[in-house]
Amino acid sequence: MYLLRRAWAELANEVFVLPSRTLVLAWALALLALPLVYDDAYALRILTMTCLFAIFAASWDLLAGYTGQVNFGHALFFGAGAYTSGLMSQKLGVSPWLTIWAGAAVATLIGFLAGYLCLRLRGSYLSLATLAFPLIALGLLFAVPEFSGGELGISGLRRLATTPTQNYYVAALAMLAVVFGLWLLADSKFGIVLHAIRDDEVAARASGINTPRYKLVVFALSAAAAGFAGALFAHYIRVAGPSTLEVALSFQVVIWGIFGGVATIYGPVAAVFILYPLTEWLGSFKAVGELRLLIFAVIVLLVLLFMPRGLTPWVRDKIEAQCPRCKQRNATWRKMCRLCGAALKAEVARAQRLVGHQ
Amino acid sequence: MLQDILVTGLVNSGVYALLAVGFSLIFGVARIVNIAHTAFYMLAAYCFYALLVKGGLGFALAGAIAVAAVTALSVLCYRLVIEPVREHEAAVLIATIALALIFQELMLLFFGGSYLGIPSTLEGMVRVFGVSIPYQRLLILVVAALMLTAVWFLLYRTRLGLAIRATANDLEVANLMGMNVHRVAMATVAISVALAAVAGVVVAPVFVVDPFMWLAPLVTMLAIVVLGGLGSMKGSLIGALIIGYVEAITVFAVPAGAYLKGAVALLIMVVVLLVRPEGLFGVAFEEER
Amino acid sequence: MLRSALLACALAVAAPFALAQGTIKIAIVGPMAFVQGENHWAGAEMARDNINRAGGINVGGKKMQIELIRADTNEMQSVPDATNAVERVITRDKADFLIGGFRSEAVLAMQEVAMDYKKIFLGAGAAHSKLGINVEQNHERYKYWFRVTPVKDVDLVRTTFAVLATVAGQIRKDLGKPAPKVAILAEKAVWVEGIVAASKKNLPAMKMEVVGVWQPSAVATDVTAELSAIERAGADIVFTLLSGPVGIVVGRQMGERNMKSIAFGINVEAQKDAFWQAAAGKANYVSTLDTYAHVQMTPKTIDFVKAFESRFGKSPTYNAGSHDAIYLLKEAIEKAGTTDADKLVAVLEKISYVGAAGVIEFDKRHDPLWGPGKSTGIAVQWQDGKKVPFWPPQVPGMKQFKMPAH
Repeated sequence: MYLLRRAWAELANEVFVLPSRTLVLAWALALLALPLVYDDAYALRILTMTCLFAIFAASWDLLAGYTGQVNFGHALFFGAGAYTSGLMSQKLGVSPWLTIWAGAAVATLIGFLAGYLCLRLRGSYLSLATLAFPLIALGLLFAVPEFSGGELGISGLRRLATTPTQNYYVAALAMLAVVFGLWLLADSKFGIVLHAIRDDEVAARASGINTPRYKLVVFALSAAAAGFAGALFAHYIRVAGPSTLEVALSFQVVIWGIFGGVATIYGPVAAVFILYPLTEWLGSFKAVGELRLLIFAVIVLLVLLFMPRGLTPWVRDKIEAQCPRCKQRNATWRKMCRLCGAALKAEVARAQRLVGHQ
Repeated sequence: MLQDILVTGLVNSGVYALLAVGFSLIFGVARIVNIAHTAFYMLAAYCFYALLVKGGLGFALAGAIAVAAVTALSVLCYRLVIEPVREHEAAVLIATIALALIFQELMLLFFGGSYLGIPSTLEGMVRVFGVSIPYQRLLILVVAALMLTAVWFLLYRTRLGLAIRATANDLEVANLMGMNVHRVAMATVAISVALAAVAGVVVAPVFVVDPFMWLAPLVTMLAIVVLGGLGSMKGSLIGALIIGYVEAITVFAVPAGAYLKGAVALLIMVVVLLVRPEGLFGVAFEEER
Repeated sequence: MLRSALLACALAVAAPFALAQGTIKIAIVGPMAFVQGENHWAGAEMARDNINRAGGINVGGKKMQIELIRADTNEMQSVPDATNAVERVITRDKADFLIGGFRSEAVLAMQEVAMDYKKIFLGAGAAHSKLGINVEQNHERYKYWFRVTPVKDVDLVRTTFAVLATVAGQIRKDLGKPAPKVAILAEKAVWVEGIVAASKKNLPAMKMEVVGVWQPSAVATDVTAELSAIERAGADIVFTLLSGPVGIVVGRQMGERNMKSIAFGINVEAQKDAFWQAAAGKANYVSTLDTYAHVQMTPKTIDFVKAFESRFGKSPTYNAGSHDAIYLLKEAIEKAGTTDADKLVAVLEKISYVGAAGVIEFDKRHDPLWGPGKSTGIAVQWQDGKKVPFWPPQVPGMKQFKMPAH
C-alpha cells in the first residue's frame, strides 16, 4: 500500500505536472496496450518496424545531437549488428536471443574504432569521413561473398518470436527500454558533459574534462544501441543484407533525427513514429502510393520551414514555459511556477517589454 | 600497362575535377553542406536530355538553357527553403537532403526509373600511347580546366570574389562592413550550382542518366573535396587526380577487384584525414569556436 | 492519431474490395516505378483481361473472375518497404496469390512473409538459386514458392556456354583465329561467382583462351579503366555477366572506343527496348540472353509478343512472365478444382504448361526445368537499333549473328 501510494506520488509529482511527460507516458501505455485492442498483423508489422527504427534514430541522436558529431554513416552500426547477429545464428547455430547481444557488442567495438578514427576530425570533415565508413564496409562484404552472401546477404534467419503480437512486443519493449535508458543517460551529469563538449570543446577540456574519452564512450554507446536495433531488425525481416549499410539508410536517420529535434532523444523517436507510419500509409493509396517519398520529402521540408529546430522542441515550447526565476519547466497554462512560486506570465510579458520582443 | 594507368587516370580525374569544383565552392566557401548539389547536376542532365533528345534543340542551345534553368531553380530554392533556416545548421542539412529527394522523385515521376542516354557532344576518339580516349573525355578535361581557372579568377580577381571570401571568413564582420551577405550567399549558390549544371551537361553524356545518378557522384565528390581540404580549389584538383589515379591503379592491379575501386578511394580519403584532419590543402581551423 | 490513421487506411483499402465477391485476388508485387514492375503489371493485366473476357477461371464448376492488386514494393530503394507491401496485400487486401519480385535481397525477405501466411508466391524476376534451395531444404515451409522466370543461375550457364560456342565458331571462321581470346567482364555479385568459375575451367576445353576476369560494381558508372585493360589484353570476346546499369555503360563505352571485340553474355539492361537509347545508339553488336522475341519458341510466343507490343507500345522483358504465371495458375486451379494452396502446390509440382516463353515444369527446388523444349531462353544481338534473335538456331524466325568490321 505504501509502495503504491509512493508510486502514485512520484507519478503525480514528476510526470503529471508536465504535459510533455504526461504525453510520453500515455504514448508508452498506448503502445503496450495496442495489441490487446487492435490485433491486426499489418498494423503490428508497421509498428514493429517503427519501434526498431526508433531505437536506431535515438542512438543517432545521442551521438549527433548531444556531442555534435553529426554521423553521416550511422548505418555502419546498424549493419554491423545485423550482419553479426545474422552470421552467428546462421553459421554457429546459436539462438538469436543470444546473438542479438553479440551484434550489439560487435557494433560497440566498431563504434569504438570509428570513434577513435574520428577523434581528430571536426564538423563537416567528421560527417563526410563517417559517410565513407559503411561504403568501405560494403566493399569488404562484397569481397567475401561466401561469408557475407554478397548482394543477397544472409537469409532465412531464425526469428525471435513467431506471432506478429510477440514480435511486436519484443520490438516495443526493446524500444522502450533502450530509449528510456538513453534518455536517462542523456539527462544525467554525463549528458550535461556531452552538451558542454558540443557547445565548446576547448572550454570543456579546460574544465578538466577528458573530452576524447567522453567522445569515444558516446560513439561506442550509440553504436551499441544502433547495432542492437540492427540485430533485431535482421531477425525480424529474416535477412541481413547490404541494404542495411546503404547511404539511403544513413540519410534516413539524419532526417528522422533533425526532423524530430536533436539533443532530445524523444524527438527522433517521435519523428520515426510520425514519419514511418505516414509514408507507409501514403503507400497504401493507389493514387499516391508511388509518390510517397515525394510527399514525405515535401512534408519534411515544410515542417522544417516552420519549426527549424525540429518538431518536438516546437511542440514543447507551445505546451510548456520556462520559469523566469528558477529555469524549471511548467505547463503553459499555469500562472505560478510549480517549484519556486514565481509568477510566470506577467514576468515573461514584462521581461519581453523590457528587452524588446525577440 | 603504365601508359594505360597514366592516361586512364587522367581521363577519370577530369570528370571528377569538373564535378568537384562547384562542390568545393559551395561547401568550402559558403559553408553550406549542400547534399542537393549533385541533385542539381542530375537535374541539368535531365533538362539537357529533354531539350536535346525530346526537344530537338542543338547541343549549345540545349546546354545553355539547361544550365540557366537549373541555376535559376537553385536561386529559387535558396530563397524559399535554405535562407529561412540558414541560422540552423542542422535544418539546412536536412533541407538539402529533402530537396535532393524531391528532385529524385520528381524525375522518377516524369521520366520513370529507366536509364536514359545522352548523345555525345563530340563523337569519335583519339589514340594516345595506344590507349583510346573518346573526344567527349577530352572535352571534359578542357571544360574542367576552364572551370577551375574561371573560379580561381572569380574568387581572387573580382570584387564579388573578394566579397565571397570575406563573407566566408567572417560573416558578421562582412555584414558590418556593409556587404549584403544574403546577396553574396545567393551569388555563391548560383555560381556553384551553375558549375554543377555545366558538369551535368558535359559529364552526363559519358554516364547513364537515371533518377538515382546523384548518389554515387555525391559520395565521390565528398571524398575528393574532403581529401583536398574544404574550400581549396587546388585541393579539389589534387583530390580529383588522386581519386582518379587510385581507381585506375585498382582496376589495373587487381582486375577481379575492380568493384573495390570506390571503397579503395574512400579508404585513401580516411587515411589522409587520419594523418591530416583538415585535408591536404585545407586551412587548419585551430580549435575553431 | 496513429491508430485512427491506420484504421482510416484500412477502410480506404478495404472498401473497394469488400464489394467484389467470388473473385480470385492476385497481388502483383514489384517495383512499379521501374521497368521491371511495369512489365510485371503489364503482363498480368493482359492475362487478366483475356481470362476474364473468356469467362474467368473455372474453380470446381464455378466461374470466378480475376482481380489484380497492384502493390508497389519499392524494393529497389527499401527492403522493409517490400516486406510491408507483402504483408499488406495478404492481410489487408486478402490476396490469394502473389506474383512478381525482382531484387533478390528483397525477394528473400518477401518470400519469408508469404510463406508465413502459406500463400503461393510465383517469382517472376529474381534468379538466385537460394530461393529454390530454401524449398529443397525445408519443403514444408517453402513449398508455396515457385519460380516461373528466369531459369536459375546455374542453368543460365548452360545456355550461355551453348551460345558462346556458336559465337566462337563464327570468330574462328571469320577471323581465322583457332583459339579466340575471352575477357570475362562480370559484375561483382553472388550470381556470377559460379559462372565465372565454370568459365575459367571450361572455356579452355572449348578452345577459348581466358585473358582475364574484371569485376566492376553492378552500379558502376564508368568502366573506362576496365575496357582499356581488356583492349590491352587483346580480347576477341567480352563475356559479360551484368544485371545492373553497368551493362549500359559497358555497351556504350565499348562502342565509343570502337572496340573490335564482341560483347556477349548476360546483360539484363540490353534485354530492354530502351537499351539502344540509353547507350546513345553506341551499343551495336552487343548481345545477351533474353526471353521473348518474334520467334516460335512455343506456339504462343509470337502471338503474345505481338499482342503485348500493340497494347503497350514496347516489347516485353522477362518480367512479363507474370503473364505466363497467371495462366499457369489458371491451369493449376482448374485442374485442382480449388484455390486451396496446399492442393495447388501438389498440382503445380506435376504440371507441364506451355507458356509464351517456354514449357514450364518445376524441379524439386520449384525452379523451372531447363532444356531444349522446356525453358532455355534465347540469345539476341543489337543490330543498328534493333534487337535481333539469333539463338537457338533451329527455332523458326532466328536471324544471323553479325560481327563488327575489322
